[in-house]
Amino acid sequence: MLSIYRLPNHLPDEKIIKVVRRDLFILIKKIGLFALLVILPLGFFLMMINTFPVLLAGQISLPLIMISASAYYLFVWLLFFFSFIDYYLDVWIITDERIIDIQQKGFFSRVISEQRLYRVQDVTSEAHGFFPTILKYGEVYIQTAGAKQRFLFHEVPDPEGVRNMIIKLSEKNKEKYKLL
Amino acid sequence: MTFPLYYFLLIYLLFILLWLIFSLVAVYHMIKFSFKNFTGFFATFIFIGVSIFILMESYNYLSRIDWEMNVIVFENMFNHKLPF
Repeated sequence: MLSIYRLPNHLPDEKIIKVVRRDLFILIKKIGLFALLVILPLGFFLMMINTFPVLLAGQISLPLIMISASAYYLFVWLLFFFSFIDYYLDVWIITDERIIDIQQKGFFSRVISEQRLYRVQDVTSEAHGFFPTILKYGEVYIQTAGAKQRFLFHEVPDPEGVRNMIIKLSEKNKEKYKLL
Repeated sequence: MTFPLYYFLLIYLLFILLWLIFSLVAVYHMIKFSFKNFTGFFATFIFIGVSIFILMESYNYLSRIDWEMNVIVFENMFNHKLPF
């Protein structure tokens, strides 16, 4: 669980209600692609060895195969880790006071924006497509009166639940600040 | 044309150097921005562990190869008489 003290500019008495990341299915898709990138060259290699057994005995072909395989698997492994970082470091934090949108846009580029809940004007949830409908993940759009007018929660689980939660928290927050 | 086999090894080592730089950048991001929780540390640990495994296995195979050997390419390629 995320510690309140690690929140950017945490407010006094602020409580974290929910930490939202993209749906687990998105990570599973990345793992599936990674597994494919690991298995496919192995299959190709076995096929080549069966067709040209001399490849493994060659004084030049063997070192080249070893070097290529090592470089390929190191590259694929790093690519997968990059992909995981992209998934893991994109996070939306809903507290009882505000919504924080943290986006990792490649390396050395991180965007953190926040919006107070009493500024929320409209919340919309969407799920388009086969997998989003079956697995219940999708987008949540939050319209606010702030500088960044539209917040997007991208491919998050249970978008309707998140929308309802934000609406309720926003109403409570508006009551607290006597804006209703 | 003849050149020593270790030229390929040098290219590979250059790749490893670039790979190490990108890996360090990735680990830095994970440690700095992952809120220092279990998942962040676990993912980083697994990444480093698997990377070390691949590097060790690569070293294990590559250390058995005689890199001083010469590679001969394109020799007599243009000396053959054409069949027509």
